[in-house]
Amino acid sequence: MQLKYVFSETGNGLKRNVSMTIALVVTIFISLTLVGLGLLLNAQANKAEDYWGSKLQISVVLCNQNSRSPHCTSGETNPAQQAAIVDILNTHPEVASYSYETKAQAFKTWKKIYVSKDAEERQIYAAVTENDMQNSYRVTLKDPQQYRGVESALSGMDGVDKVNDLRDVLQPILTTFNKMKWGALVVAAFLLLAAVLQVSNAIRLAAFARRKEIGIMRLVGASNLYISLPFLMETLVAAVIGVAGAALAVGGVMYFFVYGNLRPDLHVVEWVSWRDAGTALAEVAALGILATLIPTLVTTRKYLKV
Amino acid sequence: MIRFENVSTTYPGQNRAALGNVNVDIEKGEFVFLVGASGSGKSTFLRLVLREARPNHGRVYVAGKEINRMASWKVPALRRKIGTVFQDFRLLPNKTVAENVAFALQVIGKPKSHINLVVPETLELVGLEGKGDRMPDEISGGEQQRVAIARAFVNRPQILIADEPTGNLDPETSVGIMKLLDRINRTGTTVLMATHDAGIVDQMRKRVIELSDGTVVRDQSRGVYGFQH
Repeated sequence: MQLKYVFSETGNGLKRNVSMTIALVVTIFISLTLVGLGLLLNAQANKAEDYWGSKLQISVVLCNQNSRSPHCTSGETNPAQQAAIVDILNTHPEVASYSYETKAQAFKTWKKIYVSKDAEERQIYAAVTENDMQNSYRVTLKDPQQYRGVESALSGMDGVDKVNDLRDVLQPILTTFNKMKWGALVVAAFLLLAAVLQVSNAIRLAAFARRKEIGIMRLVGASNLYISLPFLMETLVAAVIGVAGAALAVGGVMYFFVYGNLRPDLHVVEWVSWRDAGTALAEVAALGILATLIPTLVTTRKYLKV
Repeated sequence: MIRFENVSTTYPGQNRAALGNVNVDIEKGEFVFLVGASGSGKSTFLRLVLREARPNHGRVYVAGKEINRMASWKVPALRRKIGTVFQDFRLLPNKTVAENVAFALQVIGKPKSHINLVVPETLELVGLEGKGDRMPDEISGGEQQRVAIARAFVNRPQILIADEPTGNLDPETSVGIMKLLDRINRTGTTVLMATHDAGIVDQMRKRVIELSDGTVVRDQSRGVYGFQH
């Protein structure tokens, strides 16, 4: 097979429909960028869930010297108080399981989150010691909807500083991530639909512009693959440029926003990494190529029928 | 080489059959005129040979194969055995004479060395030596049809189909084209030519198949155009 012909025809086709090609590239580029960002937000939501622990958990925070709660009269929770708490945790019907997080573990997590570039902040953070942390129990419930019982049973006990239901804190953040993700994906779906239709239109135009050549090729017995290859290449080139643009855009967001702002300054959660961006972009590339090749194959079959 | 067995076909949405129970057998190396009024089924006949259409009933054999049941991916191989020439030449206006002929070989993947060899040869055969670099609009109608014939013949097909090849040409030029088709026929190529040109048919004295309303009303060796029963 003479690939020279295929390449020159591909080039001619792209030049002949420059405006169509640009429209196609831009649509693919923007839709894939949105898909990429949607996937990143999805990865971020998953990361947040993993990082903050299961949404079903509540944490029972024990007193330390600094606790101001009326149930922390004796300062640190003493062993007798702690035994009473464990007893409740072991016997309460709504508790599925629980684990103990020591001050040391809490301090480790704290150090991971509170990192700063600011010298003054660093000084303040350095003054914090393990003893400023609180021991706690992470409680997993049998039915996450039924948490009030455990909460009321524990929150009144001596030695319990407070009972945190993590969902109260995390739900709004996770909901926001999810809303943003779905927003991006819905817009991307519409744009992808537009891209698919544009591919069909571009093929129709190109097939019309080349109808004489195609007629002769069919007549002299050129194979279907040979006839449709220039069309496939044309849309493939558009798809590759679109994917490359999307990769640059997502990479830009990662570099300037996630690595430039979020990661160094905001440590409330573990942010998405280059690895997540790579996974998202691989999916975007596969989607971009499928979303252009499939309509191309369908349309060329229709217009170039033997 | 071409055989129709009880072939009937109707175009969608039409009551009248385009071809009705046609039986024709054309041997290898024959020169056959297909005559008949417009709408008599000549074009349908040629389309069936090229497998651009399929019959509703009956069987079409071309070059030893039953083509109406052939898988569509095998159709290109069939068409490489058939050269086709049209009334309107169908040359590519942005390619030179030689490029137009070479195009037919390029798109079926023939190597460049082969193309460089056979294209000048074929141009010489059709009487266009030295005109390979001209553009189609720089040469006469008769010469354009010679280019089209060269393109159809360059891959040495077993069958040459000509659909009114002289329809756009004056009588004198037409004679030249007919001589060329005759020469191609003498190389062993089966020639099937649809025409309205009574003068040519009378002069050539070849086999004549006449279609009327989709049926064969005459199949006569060494026939003339205007034969009446």
